[in-house]
Amino acid sequence: MRVVHLAYVIALGAGLGLASAHFAVAGRPLLGMIEIGPWAAWPRSGSRDIDPYLRAYLARGVHLPLGAGEGLELIAERDDEGRGLDGRCRYRLTGQIPTTRGWTLSVTDADGRAFRLPLDRSGFTDAEVVRAEDGGLRIAAASWPQAGDWLPLPASGRFQFRLRLYDTPIATQAGETRAESLPRIARIDCS
Amino acid sequence: MSTADPTVEPRRTPAAGRIPLAARLGASLRSLLLATAAGLVLAGIVHIVTILMIPALSTSDAAHAYGTLGTGGQAELIASDPRGLPLPREADPATVTAICSYDLRAGPMRVVARVGTLPLGLTLHRQGGGVVYAITDRAAVRGVVEFVVMTEEQRDERVARDEEGEAARELRVVSDSEQGLIVVRVLARLASDRADAEALASGVACGMAD
Repeated sequence: MRVVHLAYVIALGAGLGLASAHFAVAGRPLLGMIEIGPWAAWPRSGSRDIDPYLRAYLARGVHLPLGAGEGLELIAERDDEGRGLDGRCRYRLTGQIPTTRGWTLSVTDADGRAFRLPLDRSGFTDAEVVRAEDGGLRIAAASWPQAGDWLPLPASGRFQFRLRLYDTPIATQAGETRAESLPRIARIDCS
Repeated sequence: MSTADPTVEPRRTPAAGRIPLAARLGASLRSLLLATAAGLVLAGIVHIVTILMIPALSTSDAAHAYGTLGTGGQAELIASDPRGLPLPREADPATVTAICSYDLRAGPMRVVARVGTLPLGLTLHRQGGGVVYAITDRAAVRGVVEFVVMTEEQRDERVARDEEGEAARELRVVSDSEQGLIVVRVLARLASDRADAEALASGVACGMAD
């Protein structure tokens, strides 16, 4: 009877421990994440005091995160109203970009890879967009052509916006950044 | 001097022979709950140990993928490597990335980057995860970003060799792991900037400091 109990304890401990560790670092962990409006960032991913879960997540693949003094990567999976980003819909990104030496905005899948679309454009850099009179952004994202700065989306399915700010002062104080200082993501309509 | 006869069964009291079913079920349940609690405690220990061990045991991380790049004293572009190395996951397609891997067992490494008009960043990724140091081209002095990577012991040796009362003339960066990667990232704002970005990134020198 004791052997059965011991086997049960070991099976439960090893199985549950390994499975929970696997799922905890299968994607970006919630620990260390900060949310600014629809955008999420892991500012400690590029610092010396990275937490163990993020460290384990990054070690499971070929990752080279931006250094804390180098820049900040922000990821959006939802629009301003909390609905998941969907390729069948049309979105408008408007607003300001924080003070930065340079930035890029791109469309990726959940693993951070660009989609293979007929039009070879997966993002914009700060030098490629036309700004409004007030200096703000006005980018349309849809799977069908749009007037102005158009960011092509996949025809269907989930996607992410990734905003990378290079050499920005907010990289070290991302937790205090207000949502108004980042682009808003508004869903216009869906097909 | 035992006089017990093994062929004779010990006399049982009627109560001992008939343990109530409820009591037996209760004992089994208690033992199952105790075993489950022990299993959960073990699961917690296994979980923590696994999370802490992944960076040390992983062979699919960036340090292993790019460990051979830049050993010749010059940063090497990931994208143009003839061996077809994997591109970094979640990388920005608008940036050009070059790598210098370092091994401080042979001595400190001096990194020298000439800057241009495109944003350039240098980061030190230690083996096992974590960015030890990051610097951008805004810190350049006369168009050059230069620093020396060393271990704690090598830093102490250099400090001991410094002239009394004289400030060190080099930027010293301490890495708490002997091996790691120096990552050079240059942002190509326009598609036409890519050649300049590649030249800047691959122009970073990373040789022995002494």
